[in-house]
Amino acid sequence: MPDPAIVEWIYNTDLSVAIREGGLPYPIIGGIHLLSIAWFGGMLLATDLRLLGWAMRSRPVSDVVGQFAPWKRVGFVVAVVTGVLLAWCEPIRLYRSPSFWIKMALFALVGVHALVFRNSVYRDPSKLDAGINTQAKVAAVLSLLLWAGLIVTGRFIAFDESFDS
Amino acid sequence: MGDFFHWLTNSALANALNNYEWAFPIIQSLHFIGFALSIGTIAIVDFRLLGLGMRRQQASELAADLNRWTCAGIAIMLITGPLMFSTDAYAYHVNPSFQFKMVVLMIALLFHFTLHRRAVRPDASPVAAKLAGAMSLLLWTTVVFSGRFIAFI
Repeated sequence: MPDPAIVEWIYNTDLSVAIREGGLPYPIIGGIHLLSIAWFGGMLLATDLRLLGWAMRSRPVSDVVGQFAPWKRVGFVVAVVTGVLLAWCEPIRLYRSPSFWIKMALFALVGVHALVFRNSVYRDPSKLDAGINTQAKVAAVLSLLLWAGLIVTGRFIAFDESFDS
Repeated sequence: MGDFFHWLTNSALANALNNYEWAFPIIQSLHFIGFALSIGTIAIVDFRLLGLGMRRQQASELAADLNRWTCAGIAIMLITGPLMFSTDAYAYHVNPSFQFKMVVLMIALLFHFTLHRRAVRPDASPVAAKLAGAMSLLLWTTVVFSGRFIAFI
């Protein structure tokens, strides 16, 4: 089955060729992607562990959630932009990679997670200062699972074509 | 020394990891989670030392709150890293990016548990705090980047 035209088109764009054949850009973009995983991941872990009552318990929930939120947003954007660039340079391989599609499905779930829990948990965390409700804990656990899932599927993208299937 | 790396790569542990094709990406994923936990929580303290965020807490408070998790992350890193190393020890030990990463990692760990720890204290001078924050971010960023370059140089 031939790859869709858009995959071929991306592959032949100047940007795709430049990252693929440029030598240094690929590992540098990859390094920024990893760094954003570390920084963004640190903020996300601190937030979710606070919601679960496992870290920073002496600080009010609203302090932790509120202060980390802008940094999480920046880290998320950097991770997505560098991720798109990494994908852009090898669209044909990714199109054929099951791990890539699982990762994209998890991304869709990240969107669902945001829609479901934004109003109830993240928008006004001060109401959690008196006590963390079950909904906030569920949001934190799902957030941690989604994040770990994105890391694992991201790693498997680099390997799944070499698996015997 | 070369013998040791060949022996390690042919050891039962490395063979098990090399024979099970899912092992390496899973260990590497854990390595990523470990460094997010450690480098991520250290970065939170560093940003605070630089006065860039989390200002409602002192750096000392953030460091004390997160220390357990930072150490857990470092432990995960230091277990999964050598496991990955064992799968192809000889090739890694002659890889310039790997050698560079190990040197910077040692400096970063030493720095973290000595000067950085001191700069986080409430009585540290603001200049020392800023320098330590910047130095820490630079060291750990270099560790991450040289890790990425192992596959390329």
